[in-house]
Amino acid sequence: MKRTLVALALIAAAAMAFGQGTIKIGATWPLADITGKQGSMAAQQAVDEINKAGGILGRQLELIVIDDELKADKGAAAIEKLVTVDNVDVIIGGMASGVALGQVPAMKKYGKVVVSTGAASYKVEEALGKDADWYFHLHPWDYNQGASYVQGWDEIQKKFPNIKIKKIFLAYEEGAFGKASWDATKTLFGAGNRYVIDGASFKSAALGGGDYGAMLEAAKMFKPDLFLWAGYDADALPMLEQAKAMKFSPGIYLGAPPGWPVGFGTSRLSENVMLYGMWAPSINNVSPVSKKFYDGFVAKFKAEPATYFAPLSYSAVYIVADAIKRAGSTDTAALIKALEATKYESPLGQTITFTPGNIIKHQGVKNQKILQWQMGRQEVIWPFESATAKPVYPFPKWK
Amino acid sequence: MANKRNRTAGLVLAAAVLGILVWRPTVLIYGLQAAGLYASIAIPMGLILGIVHIVNLAHGEFMMAASYLTYTICRASGMDPYLALLPVAAVTAAFGFLVYRLTIRRALKAPELNQLILTFGLAILLTQAANLLFTSQTRKLSFEYVSASVDIGDLSFGVYNFVFVAIAVAMVVGLRLFLTRTKAGKAALAVGQNPRGAAIVGIDVDRAYALTFALASAMVGLMGAVFITRSSIFPAVGSPFTMKSFCLIAMAGIGNIPGILASSVLLGVSENFLKAFRGTREWADIVFFVLIISVILGRSIRGKKA
Repeated sequence: MKRTLVALALIAAAAMAFGQGTIKIGATWPLADITGKQGSMAAQQAVDEINKAGGILGRQLELIVIDDELKADKGAAAIEKLVTVDNVDVIIGGMASGVALGQVPAMKKYGKVVVSTGAASYKVEEALGKDADWYFHLHPWDYNQGASYVQGWDEIQKKFPNIKIKKIFLAYEEGAFGKASWDATKTLFGAGNRYVIDGASFKSAALGGGDYGAMLEAAKMFKPDLFLWAGYDADALPMLEQAKAMKFSPGIYLGAPPGWPVGFGTSRLSENVMLYGMWAPSINNVSPVSKKFYDGFVAKFKAEPATYFAPLSYSAVYIVADAIKRAGSTDTAALIKALEATKYESPLGQTITFTPGNIIKHQGVKNQKILQWQMGRQEVIWPFESATAKPVYPFPKWK
Repeated sequence: MANKRNRTAGLVLAAAVLGILVWRPTVLIYGLQAAGLYASIAIPMGLILGIVHIVNLAHGEFMMAASYLTYTICRASGMDPYLALLPVAAVTAAFGFLVYRLTIRRALKAPELNQLILTFGLAILLTQAANLLFTSQTRKLSFEYVSASVDIGDLSFGVYNFVFVAIAVAMVVGLRLFLTRTKAGKAALAVGQNPRGAAIVGIDVDRAYALTFALASAMVGLMGAVFITRSSIFPAVGSPFTMKSFCLIAMAGIGNIPGILASSVLLGVSENFLKAFRGTREWADIVFFVLIISVILGRSIRGKKA
């Protein structure tokens, strides 16, 4: 009799545990792209770390990743599957705005909590609308980024009076990304006639182009204090090589690609090139969370995080896990309330909280960083609170 | 009458070239450099299309694979891509020969759509293999000589990309010599013109096809090795060049290798002419299609009249 009771108790406990199961986090990223791939790897790293530490509410986390293939229809189908087949408790991930636009209707239909790591276009925010209280957006919107650059350059010029910017030239790739950057630059830097703006487009090497002669010629004639290019990593070194050949050396040479080519820092041409970004390994020097993330990533995957999407995706998992812990359940209403109270010291070198965006209620990171390649490393030069080096100015003349 | 018309056309062309040179010399400089690149990638595809009569949709991917091979060799040994050029060309020739023997050969008598699907499949296979092996992150080897420049007054411009003009001209001359002076070349030319007739007179058609495919693959391999000195590489880097090459061949006319060079010059200079104006900078891609449509339409109208 006693044995039977013990057996029944064990079965009941097992059934309860099975009923509780894992906490399922669904995610979509483009896995053929290094950015999306590493985003998913970093998210898995965070899940493994949390599970190793005992999980959340006595349950293990389970990450279910679907490849959105950088296609809106695949991204939308992935959301449908994650919610209806995999029964996930929360959704994270995302990279391209075009895919996010395709996913928004499915997200609205189910109202699951989403902690998004991608989508910079304000059009996604417009599609979400003001009622999407289940949507938590970590990545800055395009207008957030633009505003932070203006603020950054204002503060840099104030702190370092030798840096003077009056004329800005934007070289932008012909696609949607480049044109959005051009529109934002004209609006933000052109306001109040403080800066003189000019620009020219080029066909990115990523799309079969790679000839920057005409664009660089226009830039050279404009004689800018700040030369900024908005393109892809494939443009980084060939553009510098052509700029050198044409002896074009502006006061500041700044690139804003989503990522940089392998070994860019080892090229002599990279020295003192500035960039916009959210994270660099140099942040390890000022942020223990960044160091923990970086060391864990390198140990686990034997590779360096190539873009800021890795620490951002890592952050998304920790933010979700922390909110579930505080909410005491995965119930949507409780989880939204807990997420609203998020205060997460992230590997990005800043504490993430959610405050209203222009339309949505929950916007996480609102600023980008201004960095500079110095001795093969990306050093943060602004914001000053997470700075790892002083700016080197001007960009040296070509020898 | 025809001579007078040709002379007038020549004079107009010379005046236009002179005008552009005086007004914006970089239009011609960058136009010729772009033309050299386009032609040197398109010519091997033109060779295959002219002789084997198959559109190789994996053409750009062959070049991409050669670029990755060069990158791997140069990174491992510290070798310059120009030294790696010959071994890479040898490997891609062997690869092309194998691809022909294992796949293309079996689809030669199949409908054209099947051939296109086959080479498209090869393109996807190569792209995904590169993605798995090297990831989608771009790679570039950086060399001082790529930034070599010339100063004329206030004008500074890069001269390195003229290497592609030299390669394109060497390819045209080399192929002409091969096809007209060597036994294997003459056989390939005969097979390209009339495979059945060539077989009747005892030419090994299959061997000629295999040789042509291997030779074109070697030329693409050579281009892949040089390409990495100028451009970043990533798994999808080749596909836009497949389309561009095919269109240049269509403009020149199938089998017209020197015509590919001429079409490339027309395209390169036209693109850079439009890029010189603020308002037309983004029309470069449109001029590409306008030129193709105009040339093909013009040719078909002339054909009808004849």
